[in-house]
Amino acid sequence: MREPVWEFLIVNYLFLGGLSAGLYFASALATWIQEDGRSAYPRIARWGALLAPWPVSLGSALLVLDLGKPMRFWKIFFHFRWRSPMSIGSWLLVAFTFLSLAYLWSWLEQDERQSLQARIPGKIRKRIPARVQRWLDLDASLWRRNLAMLGFPIAVGVGIYTGVLLGAVQARPFWNTNLVAQMFLFSALSSGTAALVVARLMDREPVELKEMRFLYSMDITLIVLELFIVLPYLIHGELSSLAVKEALAQVLGGPFTIVFWLFFMGIGLLLPLAIELYEFKPVILGKGTFHIQPRWALTAGGLVLFGGYMLRYIFVFAGQATGFR
Amino acid sequence: MATKSVKTAQRYAMVIDAKKCINCKACVVACKAENQVPLGVFRNWIDEETSGEYPHLRMSFDPEQCHHCADPSCVRVCPTGASWQREDGIVLVNEDDCIGCKYCIIACPYDARYHNPETHTVGKCTFCSHRVDRGELPACVETCPSKVRVFGDLNDPKSQLHQLLATRRYEVKNPQTGNGPQLYYLL
Ligand code: SF4
Ligand code: SF4
Repeated sequence: MREPVWEFLIVNYLFLGGLSAGLYFASALATWIQEDGRSAYPRIARWGALLAPWPVSLGSALLVLDLGKPMRFWKIFFHFRWRSPMSIGSWLLVAFTFLSLAYLWSWLEQDERQSLQARIPGKIRKRIPARVQRWLDLDASLWRRNLAMLGFPIAVGVGIYTGVLLGAVQARPFWNTNLVAQMFLFSALSSGTAALVVARLMDREPVELKEMRFLYSMDITLIVLELFIVLPYLIHGELSSLAVKEALAQVLGGPFTIVFWLFFMGIGLLLPLAIELYEFKPVILGKGTFHIQPRWALTAGGLVLFGGYMLRYIFVFAGQATGFR
Repeated sequence: MATKSVKTAQRYAMVIDAKKCINCKACVVACKAENQVPLGVFRNWIDEETSGEYPHLRMSFDPEQCHHCADPSCVRVCPTGASWQREDGIVLVNEDDCIGCKYCIIACPYDARYHNPETHTVGKCTFCSHRVDRGELPACVETCPSKVRVFGDLNDPKSQLHQLLATRRYEVKNPQTGNGPQLYYLL
């Protein structure tokens, strides 16, 4: 390929889509796990629910802007092409966005719902049929768990889709392996978890130890899983056909080497893993007491997000530079 | 040359006798003029390769363009169906349905597609389907002074293309892409 035709808008879109999927997933898990008949980590769940719809919405807007003909984007929804990852993914994104909005609604308190409705200009509000009004007033908190469950496969689908969009392109050997989808999924879930660490620490309400334990154990697991994907990706690629080997040279000596090893692997993956493991040591070893050092936790969370962005940046650009010639 | 398109099972393809290519680029110019291809983008081009060691140098020229693949990945990934394939194998873009997502540009292993800077949709070689449908040859084929390019119907045993493929050794580029490219390069 001569020049990349997908650039930063696509990088942002893949990152933001994955971030939303991760936020929803982590929040849904926090909702789903019960303690005394209530969700065990309500504040985490709520933060995730409040944040989840927005990155993906912004990302989709960027995707539309990246089109040569943005005003024609609706055509995607009038031609269902099941063999095109972009066609399937667009439907998935729409479903996910609506679902995450419903999920957000279910996490709003009554006064929040009412103050939102009060913002609708009176003239319009009067026109809303009573049935819809009642519906908007509905307390959906009992639905949270069902929405969470419904959301698991869809959020995972969105996370995977951001990888499949690239992985399904056999013309680009850097992408076309069966590991890219999982890599993007775990990275997406990890960035969602990290975003919740950051959000929860910025919250006025002091964070509880068990909340951090939940987020840390999840993020550590996800980062380790990501490592288990990235390393085989490299090793297996090196043992693969020439086109794949040549493609991997992009990050093994080629132009993306430093970004990959320093910014993604080092600063974006291993460093936050080290910080989280260090913080979490008392829990893992069963010795000492688990403290939270907000500064470290915020750093780790920020780095995970940075690493997630770097991964997408590297894949979008390095992948387009590869091919069979 | 195949006769005017009657509804039989046709499969258009091109044979390229690259050894005869002198890199005059008449085909590139002819395509640009015929199809009003904007500045800066191309539907066909010549790959140049130098090999050997001074003074024993060798230069080879390979005409390149869309391979009108049997199983085109560009068509597969297109989310709107704007990229499509005719019964006779010619792969086209319906510009009215193209949203300019550029997915097909990325998915083409032969880098045969471009983003049209004027219409913001995607363009590519059409095998001059408008000429072929009139019973004429693609502009590049007609222009080539060294008769490098032979266009025709694979399923027509009388065509020059068919006979060349029946009697000469040839290769297709990167068959490992799985796309089933339909440009046959004579060896
Ligand atoms: S060469 Fe590229 S553009 Fe042409 S049919 Fe094959 S995949 Fe499509
Ligand atoms: S750029 Fe146009 S032709 Fe290519 S995949 Fe997108 S909609 Fe289809």
